[in-house]
Amino acid sequence: MDDLSRQAGPLISPAPSASRRLGRLNLDVRQDLAPWKQAVFVGASLMSGLAISIAILALAGIAPLTLASELAGVLTTENLRGVLIQAAPLILVGLSASLAFRIGFWNLGIEGQMVFGGIFAAAISIYDVGPPTTRLLLMGAAAALGGALWVLLPVFLKIRFRVNEIIATLLLNYVAMYFLFHLLYGAWQDSKTAFPQSSPFRPFERLTDIGYGVNSGLVIAIAGVLAAGWLIHLSRIGFYTRFISANPRMAKIVGVPVQATTVWIIAASGACAGLAGFVNVASQEGRLTQSYANGYVFSGVLIAFLSRNDPIVVAIVGFLIAVLFITGQTLQVFYQIPFTMVQMIEAIIVMAVASSEFLIRHRIRWIR
Amino acid sequence: MIDFLVNWLANAPVTAVPYALAALGLIVAERSGVLNLTAEGLMLIGALAGAGTSLLFVGHPAVALLVAMAAASIVSLLFAALVVVLRINQVIAGLSVVFFCQGLTGLIGTLAKWQNKQLTGLAPLKIWPLSEIPDIGRIFFMQDPVVYLTILIFFAVNFLLFKTMLGLRIRAVGENPAAADAAGISVALHRILAIVAGSSLIGLAGGYISVVSVKLWVTGMTGGRGWIAVALVVFARWAPRPALAGALLFGCIEALIPHIAAAGIRVPQYLMLMTPYLATIAVMIWVGAKDARGSQEPGALGQPHVREERR
Repeated sequence: MDDLSRQAGPLISPAPSASRRLGRLNLDVRQDLAPWKQAVFVGASLMSGLAISIAILALAGIAPLTLASELAGVLTTENLRGVLIQAAPLILVGLSASLAFRIGFWNLGIEGQMVFGGIFAAAISIYDVGPPTTRLLLMGAAAALGGALWVLLPVFLKIRFRVNEIIATLLLNYVAMYFLFHLLYGAWQDSKTAFPQSSPFRPFERLTDIGYGVNSGLVIAIAGVLAAGWLIHLSRIGFYTRFISANPRMAKIVGVPVQATTVWIIAASGACAGLAGFVNVASQEGRLTQSYANGYVFSGVLIAFLSRNDPIVVAIVGFLIAVLFITGQTLQVFYQIPFTMVQMIEAIIVMAVASSEFLIRHRIRWIR
Repeated sequence: MIDFLVNWLANAPVTAVPYALAALGLIVAERSGVLNLTAEGLMLIGALAGAGTSLLFVGHPAVALLVAMAAASIVSLLFAALVVVLRINQVIAGLSVVFFCQGLTGLIGTLAKWQNKQLTGLAPLKIWPLSEIPDIGRIFFMQDPVVYLTILIFFAVNFLLFKTMLGLRIRAVGENPAAADAAGISVALHRILAIVAGSSLIGLAGGYISVVSVKLWVTGMTGGRGWIAVALVVFARWAPRPALAGALLFGCIEALIPHIAAAGIRVPQYLMLMTPYLATIAVMIWVGAKDARGSQEPGALGQPHVREERR
């Protein structure tokens, strides 16, 4: 392609103009690019994104050296436990976003699904369903169900009424949040405190450590990674999903159950988000609170985007974002930097890495 | 009962203005073929810039609103660079800009200690003698100046898009960028122009919320109004007139919430607060169930334009 256009160049030369004498920027579409060059572009973009973030933090009063020492502090053994606890919900929301994006559904309702996951799990605790031995299992199953049901609402609206899921899922986050407030300021409020929170879960309703400072929430997340990896890479539904996202019309023609596959994959996505809500209420908070789902929508998008929707990579990226979260919490406590800073850095990283796509797909040349 | 109605309807324009301005700004940008999800973030930028200006320099609130417009326009250049120059997926770019703005405004607002500080606001403009008509005068002729300005902006947007050469070019770029490009119209230039111009209106919407309507800065104070505005544009099928009507409808719904509680009607408070979001979803269902003909959706909405790329 490039050779051809170069040969064709002298034959059909455009009329000489002022811009011709100066030369101009020309944009070619690349046919392909060596993988190592792609990696260089992505890596360089990621680095520049991080550099911009560090610069903004420096303007906000956190010197890069302070940041480095705080980061080193986060990675010490005693703080690593917190990182691993934080990694569990992040990996689960990353899985949730990846599964939905695989089928081309913009699930931006992750926070709402987390809220309903937490509410369903708390309902099992509050209404004392089942014997204590199976209580945690029931709570987890209820949370997955709650998340899946809450995502199926926008799925139904999209299939039946062609309602854009980006707006529907985002708005349903607000609806879910206000429903949570309705419970926490009303029927489910702990009568012993004045705070908007439910009464604490009993010891057998909490996710505890399983040794080596690892919380059982992380076990759920890893199980989720394996299940999602199986679903996407090995199962029949995963094969259908690849088929549908590559060519939905062809998939329909050859008899792939497009609608059923779509619904099941997105339900799995909602279930992952519901489990993330369950992990947060049952390990970190120990009760239903106001804010256990805050700041997870874009984290899910970021993790799915950086891991290219691959469940195994989600686990690694999720851990790295957990480091960012814990660092953000440290900066909030000791330097009064608001936690929204984490969201800003996440957005900068996505913008930077997305920009590298431009360099991978286009060649910029200066033509004289 | 009459008192309740008058109180409610007299407040409706104040809640409708942000929706109207943001939706008009989004229409200008999206008519150039750029799927613009940035409204929620740019409104926050406008709200913070407006509040910050009124707190730092005690000037006329109009200055604060102008700064809000300028700030949102400047941040929208980032979005324009991402989608027009770098041709990033427009959904990813829009979402990133929203969450970037949420983080940035939270950071600046907290570090500068602008949270929860009372602002002076804008006095209502009485259009005498019409303002003296009982009830009607209070609803229509005793609003703040921005309410009247919004009506002027509505006519200006209509004029710009449908009666000027520039508007024709913007719409051509949105409908068929390849053809517009072949006709010698710069796709990039017109898209950037439409994004920046539209974003100034979105910034004004945000500045209006903090400076005129709430008279405070609170982190994340737009509370999803930007997303509702995005939905309004779909509901209006990218035409200014239905967008204005939709904004009024949502203004009425939002203005109703505090008045129901004030009138002593006992309804669960947090369930009431859901209504704007549920109403938006209901409106989207209505649009989806309706026939899609007659929609003015730009043909190339959401598609980046690369001259050298074959389609």
